[in-house]
Amino acid sequence: MLRRTIDTRDKNAPAQNRVAVLNSSEKRSDQWSLLLIAVGEKRDRQAFAKLFKHFAPLLKSFAQASRHEGWFPGLSEDLVQEVMIKVWQKAAGYKPEKASATTWIYTVARNCRIDMLRRKSNTQHLPLENEDFWHEPDEETPISLLRQKRSEDKLQNSLSQLPREQDEILRKVYLEGKSHAEASNELGLPLGTVKSRVRLALQKMQILVTPEYQDELHHE
Amino acid sequence: MNNKLTQHPDNAMLVEFSAGTLPTAASICVSAHLHFCQKCRAELLRLDQVGSQLMTEAEPADVDDSLFDSVMAKIEKAEAAPPENIDQESDNGFPFSVNRLLNNPAHRPIWKRMSGSVDVARFKTGQSDYEVALHRICAGGKTPKHDHQGTEYTVVLKGSFSDERAVYNEGDFLVRQPGDVHQPMGAQNGECICLSALDAPIKLTNPLGFLMKPLLRINPM
Repeated sequence: MLRRTIDTRDKNAPAQNRVAVLNSSEKRSDQWSLLLIAVGEKRDRQAFAKLFKHFAPLLKSFAQASRHEGWFPGLSEDLVQEVMIKVWQKAAGYKPEKASATTWIYTVARNCRIDMLRRKSNTQHLPLENEDFWHEPDEETPISLLRQKRSEDKLQNSLSQLPREQDEILRKVYLEGKSHAEASNELGLPLGTVKSRVRLALQKMQILVTPEYQDELHHE
Repeated sequence: MNNKLTQHPDNAMLVEFSAGTLPTAASICVSAHLHFCQKCRAELLRLDQVGSQLMTEAEPADVDDSLFDSVMAKIEKAEAAPPENIDQESDNGFPFSVNRLLNNPAHRPIWKRMSGSVDVARFKTGQSDYEVALHRICAGGKTPKHDHQGTEYTVVLKGSFSDERAVYNEGDFLVRQPGDVHQPMGAQNGECICLSALDAPIKLTNPLGFLMKPLLRINPM
């Protein structure tokens, strides 16, 4: 059912000279990030077509997973289009040192999904798009790429090893778009249990406790 | 970086923010906190990685080739259109989302006097559960002692204030629930501006508090 494969280098991947220069020695080299950089820097249509080919089916699947109130399957292709248009338009603002292309595209998709739902409900008065909530200042000390990669690798491995109940709850929250309270209703579990399952899953994947502030936790 | 910052949203809120399920008013407050807090930004990135991993592991759906053409056609159409005005970013140190609400052309918030030392400016956020507003406490200003009848999120945007428990500095994120009685006081060295989201009016603990009631009514919009 699930594709647990990790993106491998494509022989058609763009040439190395398209790699944006990060902290002198660090470069993000996965093919999707290179393609996204090429779209941003050169409006490279071929690169965009490759991104589309890979991400559109995943985005459609993400859209179909939504169980938001007011969402229906007919919106799935609209979401794919909206996200891919944004990817083209915003690629120039993609900062490879901050996140991988896959994570960046996920955040675009999540924001588009919320905006579409908001437009459908009666909230035209919000002068904000969801991405405005993620408008972050430039980091003074960005998390090093090496550390990001380590956490991404760890994540891939540990996600597949989660107990079924923890995996289920993460999917409800991230893919179906259920709040903790909605998940608790649906599963017939107390809210506290839902929250602690999510927390346990994240702890196992080392999302919550990182070396940089483990020390602080010991002092508490 | 702001080292004095000590109060953060809890994990569950950050997870919901990352998954996009946190309601609008709370999201505005979390996003304001993130503007000041590098630690939570790092955590959010890792949470977004979880979402992205789950997305890429799902079974890909069939996409018709015509969808690509349709996307390219829309892109070309959009590029032919004149660019929209990009609004200038203010450099007042406030979070981006707050400045967007402050400069909302459809509803410019107006500062109003709430009590001797507190002014309020209400935002239009298109939802009907929470009043989202800025509160400004003048230097050394004392606010009336009050209880909460609902949930209140507060993020300090400028200056600092204190209550019986602690001093809160720029970026601090507070949640107050019914039964949390406090009396915030502005710092002596300057005015304090906070973003807040409130789903029920506060209740003054003073026996004559009912006289203030009309002023405390909330107005979600």
